[in-house]
Amino acid sequence: MNEKQKYVLTAALILIAAVFLWWLASGGEILSKDGVWVETELSELDKALGLEPQKVYQEKFILGLLPHTAVISGIIVVVSAILFFTFKSKKTKEKK
Amino acid sequence: MKTIIKTSILLLAAVSMTLAQGFKIKASGEQTFNFEDKRNQVKFFSTTPLEDITGISNDVKGKVTLDVADVKNMKGSIIISVASIKTAIDLRDEHLRSDNWLSADAYPEITFAVKNVGDVKVLEDNKIEAKVTGDFTVRGVTKETVAVVTLTYLDASEQTAQYAPGDLLGVQAKLNIKLSDFNVNNMIIGQKVSEDIEITVTLRGSNAK
Repeated sequence: MNEKQKYVLTAALILIAAVFLWWLASGGEILSKDGVWVETELSELDKALGLEPQKVYQEKFILGLLPHTAVISGIIVVVSAILFFTFKSKKTKEKK
Repeated sequence: MKTIIKTSILLLAAVSMTLAQGFKIKASGEQTFNFEDKRNQVKFFSTTPLEDITGISNDVKGKVTLDVADVKNMKGSIIISVASIKTAIDLRDEHLRSDNWLSADAYPEITFAVKNVGDVKVLEDNKIEAKVTGDFTVRGVTKETVAVVTLTYLDASEQTAQYAPGDLLGVQAKLNIKLSDFNVNNMIIGQKVSEDIEITVTLRGSNAK
């Protein structure tokens, strides 16, 4: 592994770690959802009754890991792999 | 001697009146509220570094009886249907109902039965906060649990009639449980599901007969 390949590998790992942290910070959900909870607005009477806003279920398909983490990580892996092999070939050619 | 007895009785009455903490509203005496509103809701919240999960049930029923002037005598119970709990992922709901988790077929209900009421704080004339101790039952296992409850009493009016006839009682409660206390032991507890579950209860009740 040459110097450039090491840079590519390090950059790819840092970027994937950053994406993972982003995914974790935004809830880190692995499973895809079949619905979401939507908070309803409180009526005047509910406010008078001292109640907190309620959540109602709405059908909506939401991918868990995708699109954020998996797609971005996939792109990083593909680009890094291309760069990795490009730099490898260049070095091999230089040696020849 | 008579004066001492009279003074003692008066003092006792004064002390008991001070200790009795209740609503200052039009209604008086013992009132029974039924919680049958379909918007009544119980939320179960689990948070772990991997995932936050919210489970919600709108199939919540119950009844409480309280003395308006002294809520410490409150009695009653709340019943939640296990099969009605949704987590927004159908597959996860199936798992939740299975024997590995809440065993919905064997134990179809989660219940909270009021045992006693303490730390009563009068927040407003019609609003009271209290610590309500009760028997919380999950999977057939009962454990004494304390809920922080806010009760809001509304005398019957044109506004309350929009919801239901009679006086209304709003109940907003929070309690925490540990799954292991109720024999819910699963490999993913601590990873994707927290051992500690925060429960939020939102109820509207009416005393109309």
